[in-house]
Amino acid sequence: MIFVVLLLIIALLGAPLYAVLAAGAMLGFHNEDIDLAVMAIEIYRLAETPVLLAIPLFTFAGYILGESKAPYRLVNLTNTLMGWLPGGLAIVALMTCALFTAFTGASGVTIVALGALLYPALKVAGYGERFSLGLITSSGSLGLLFAPSLPLILYGIMLQQLGLTLDIGIDDLFLAGILPGLLMVFLLSSYSMIQKRQPAVATEKPSNGDTLKVIRESIWELPLPFVVLGGIYGGFFTVSEAAAVTALYVLLIEVVILREIPLKKLPEIMRSSMVMVGGILIILGVSLALTNYMIDTQVPSQLFESIRTHIDSKWTFLILLNLFLLALGMMLDIFSALIIIVPIIVPVAINYGIHPVHLGIVFLANMQLGYFTPPVGMNLFIASYRFERPVMELYRATIPFFFILLIAVLIITYIPELSLFLVD
Amino acid sequence: MVTKQDVSVVNRILTYIHRFEDGLLALLLLSMIVLASTQIFIRNLFDSGIVWADPLLRVMVLWLGLMGALAASRENKHITIDVLNRVMTEKVRHFAHIFTALFTAIVTAIIAYHSTLFVLIEREANSVAFSNIPAWMLVTIIPITFAIMSVRNLIHIYQHSIALKEFNTKA
Repeated sequence: MIFVVLLLIIALLGAPLYAVLAAGAMLGFHNEDIDLAVMAIEIYRLAETPVLLAIPLFTFAGYILGESKAPYRLVNLTNTLMGWLPGGLAIVALMTCALFTAFTGASGVTIVALGALLYPALKVAGYGERFSLGLITSSGSLGLLFAPSLPLILYGIMLQQLGLTLDIGIDDLFLAGILPGLLMVFLLSSYSMIQKRQPAVATEKPSNGDTLKVIRESIWELPLPFVVLGGIYGGFFTVSEAAAVTALYVLLIEVVILREIPLKKLPEIMRSSMVMVGGILIILGVSLALTNYMIDTQVPSQLFESIRTHIDSKWTFLILLNLFLLALGMMLDIFSALIIIVPIIVPVAINYGIHPVHLGIVFLANMQLGYFTPPVGMNLFIASYRFERPVMELYRATIPFFFILLIAVLIITYIPELSLFLVD
Repeated sequence: MVTKQDVSVVNRILTYIHRFEDGLLALLLLSMIVLASTQIFIRNLFDSGIVWADPLLRVMVLWLGLMGALAASRENKHITIDVLNRVMTEKVRHFAHIFTALFTAIVTAIIAYHSTLFVLIEREANSVAFSNIPAWMLVTIIPITFAIMSVRNLIHIYQHSIALKEFNTKA
């Protein structure tokens, strides 16, 4: 117990999480008289999980897209198609952020890459400063529930590590995220439509020529979502193969065909994307060891027993889970949170009769909110840095968006059908 | 006595090492993309496949992950909980860095040591991973990367001690 507290303090002082987790696992194994060579065996399990291939490849594709002019074209396209609707531009912002985040993972890239385009555009369209800032900051994590977002994939990988009797694939999670994700976009869009604009610029419906022009501009990127999702559900390739196709395709169009990324810049993009991948995979590697230790010593079932003496209803458990995940989302980044908490929480939740797919969606929805929950949500700081505004101002700006998405999270939590309807 | 010249030689050597790592990282990533794509192409068009492609790709994920982690430790870009760091004063932050780097150096050194023993056992056992490639060779990446990460954390301790010294003389 004293060691756990000690490790927690070391983690809070800012030690790399992988080192803290590895230390915990090794202490545990040492107490059980297990040879520490087991650490190498557990880390080597990274080479025995085929779906993991999806993580570096999708991350790399996302980094390439973020460095190219694809964000600009994406905004242009959606703006022409939908900008003339009431609240159109705000909805454009929401949709592009969601799509972009799905492909890049919510690592703050959305705010940095799209924010620069959307923020001035929103102000020109007459939206207030506070609304514009709040919208972009809270949309920075919107889209986590849409395929092929990295957190969805990682949740699927973690489930597979647990060896459940239920056979749940990553493609099931991709389906499960659709309706809850759309609910979030819908609620935020409705809120945007009732915003008053000063001055209310009359926007005209674009001519057919304009529409054709922007479609032609994005002709290379447009097939991407269809190739990825169509390929997976059409049975042409698996999730990790979809990642390979995406990486190759994005590399070809942005570097060879459109030439928006000079060859010289490629090594740097590769390195920075792989630094992120390495950071995630090493935590996964050492956590596999810790998880095994905890399952051997029956931590999840003990946890369930002790929780059950206080809580007997599934719904009370879910509301406490919401609070716990919200707090967790402020402290930990989404990837470490998934890797560390999922192996403990899933067995407990199953005992309460919660479907693992539903749990995953609830988990990610809460985490999404945690990204901009004051006082320490990561995206608040990224936006503060990007738009050169004090963090306090962003706290205020995001409050209405926080409550709207909180309602969405509660609906997602208490109506499991929303997540499970499309999954059979 | 460490002269300025020594420092520049050390820096140059470090730059070469970093460049080699970056090159290996890029090579791994590109070959993964090409190999995985080729595999899908062959399967969907000719209904066959390269036998060693899938196991090789899986091992490449391990290598890429560990090389990426190694690059992350170069720039101190590992995932941490940075809630407290945001409120620390500069001096306290240097102390915290020195302490956490020492902790990380010890942990990674222990993993490096025990995985070296594991590699030796695997070598003794002579087990084959796939296509006649001995398993121990593939595992070797674990002790190598963890050992270098340990050294890198020692370098971080040195760097933060110097920064702390400069901070104290300034104050």
